[in-house]
Amino acid sequence: MNKEQVLEVAISASVAAGKFLLRHSNDFVKESHKESLRDIVTEVDKYAEKKIIEVLKDNSNNSILAEESGKIPRKDEKGYWIVDALDGTVNYVNHIPFYAVSIAFVEDVFPSVGVVYNPMSNDLYYGAEEIGVCKNHTKIKVRDRKPEESLFAVAFSGKQYEPTTRSEEFLMFEKVNDSTRGCLRTGSAAMNLSYVAEGRLSGCWGKANKMWDVMAGILLAKLSGAIVEYKYISKEKNLISYTAAVPSAQNFIKEKIRLW
Amino acid sequence: MEVPVKHCYRLNEEREKISKVNAVITAVGPRNILSIAENLKDTRVPIICCENDWHIPELMVSITNNPNVVFAIPDVIASNTAPPELKEKDPLSIITEDGTCYIDHRVANLGGNCVYVDKDELRKQWIAKLYIHNTSHCIAAYLGSLLRVKYLHESMQNKKSEKIVTSVIHEMKSVLLKKFRLEKDFIDWYANKELQRFRNTLLYDPIKRVAREPFRKLSLNGRLIGAAQLCISCGIIPENTMLGIMAAFCYHNPNDPDANIKYLMESLRPQDFLNIAMRLRPGEALYELLLDRWNLNLNKLRGLKQ
Repeated sequence: MNKEQVLEVAISASVAAGKFLLRHSNDFVKESHKESLRDIVTEVDKYAEKKIIEVLKDNSNNSILAEESGKIPRKDEKGYWIVDALDGTVNYVNHIPFYAVSIAFVEDVFPSVGVVYNPMSNDLYYGAEEIGVCKNHTKIKVRDRKPEESLFAVAFSGKQYEPTTRSEEFLMFEKVNDSTRGCLRTGSAAMNLSYVAEGRLSGCWGKANKMWDVMAGILLAKLSGAIVEYKYISKEKNLISYTAAVPSAQNFIKEKIRLW
Repeated sequence: MEVPVKHCYRLNEEREKISKVNAVITAVGPRNILSIAENLKDTRVPIICCENDWHIPELMVSITNNPNVVFAIPDVIASNTAPPELKEKDPLSIITEDGTCYIDHRVANLGGNCVYVDKDELRKQWIAKLYIHNTSHCIAAYLGSLLRVKYLHESMQNKKSEKIVTSVIHEMKSVLLKKFRLEKDFIDWYANKELQRFRNTLLYDPIKRVAREPFRKLSLNGRLIGAAQLCISCGIIPENTMLGIMAAFCYHNPNDPDANIKYLMESLRPQDFLNIAMRLRPGEALYELLLDRWNLNLNKLRGLKQ
């Protein structure tokens, strides 16, 4: 598959899952906790993921790493899909319209194609190297602003990840929140990164986030002009920390945020 | 008319030179107007906007603090290229019609060989240009693109394509009569003028120039979707305009700023394409009509060459 075909498959799978999430937003109430009170899974996560996997399997032979199903090995080793059928599950179950499907295609260690789809707002973010980044039909790019004129967002680590250092995360949040137009905790890291790509936010960061939550968004933010830095925290647990900021906010983020 | 390069200004020189001119005429396109507006800030000379968007003067008044901004309609097609025999003589050759520019009469004191018209006449010319010219012109281009021809007149030489364009103009004429209550004689004159112009084998109007940025032309209030919506609001089912819209959906030029239309068309189901890319909502008339005729219209377009 060439890059355009990979992008088309990712768009197709994201929208199929997103429309499913939207149709059934009132049907699924059964939830179970995973690692913390905030880390929940619903039946709809699993069904939406199944939809994505069907589309990916029908159209490619590449391996898949999905939040609920884990690693699904397949023949083609030249790149693999990373899938989160529902980033922002807590928002979804509380009917807060801020969640997304996130699909990335990773070659080597960095994604080459990324799609983030919020079915509630009907916002489809997609991009690929050599193609650029779009939201729905429009090309997008970051909006470069100074930190004091900017809004930021954060995605905290899970409660079980280094409980002793969690207070430091809250301190970083406070520093950014009090020296800018604010810092949001939106509940969807994929959407945070997409909003940076679109110029709504000037930056965001996440500590020990799951790779499937952020890989697509990291690519979108990078391709649209944000300066993105990241580090794989644990490949076994699929954890990654990252910062993404517009050029004028990069030094500010470096100064305030220490993730590794 | 020849404009020597030495008479052209650089953007950063505009501010100081602007005070010495009689008027500024802008023709840079609605997407680029903001990039030049800053240079015209606090000017006092009249600004004449030929921007294919009725709302631009209002925007320019706000940005430039100059109340003397007016709208004008150049009723002319200017190709950005020329046939090979002219290109051989001068590689910068272009072809243009000897057209008319309708300018708001509030700047009539500028004089010269210009057509100054009052607000009603300007509005009439604008509506006719917006729907009879803009809609059918770009549809002729999208059909030409499917036919893989290079110039607009070649698209009109295909009988099926020509019939669709003529029928689109007919749909637009009905809208102008019913919705805007323009005089039938004027509408007929305008429509005939446009058809002759599209068929003009001397113009060499490139398909790529006219078809560029399909998403801009497909915006909700634009010359395709907006025109089809107007038809529906007048009780006219715009069968041919919808065919033109479908041709725009199929437009593919990898070098076009809106080349991503291809990815969305290839990857989304028709209902999702209409909803996500076009922002049409399930249940609204145009969404349902386009969806209902999706395969039929695609097949009609595939059969254009036969």
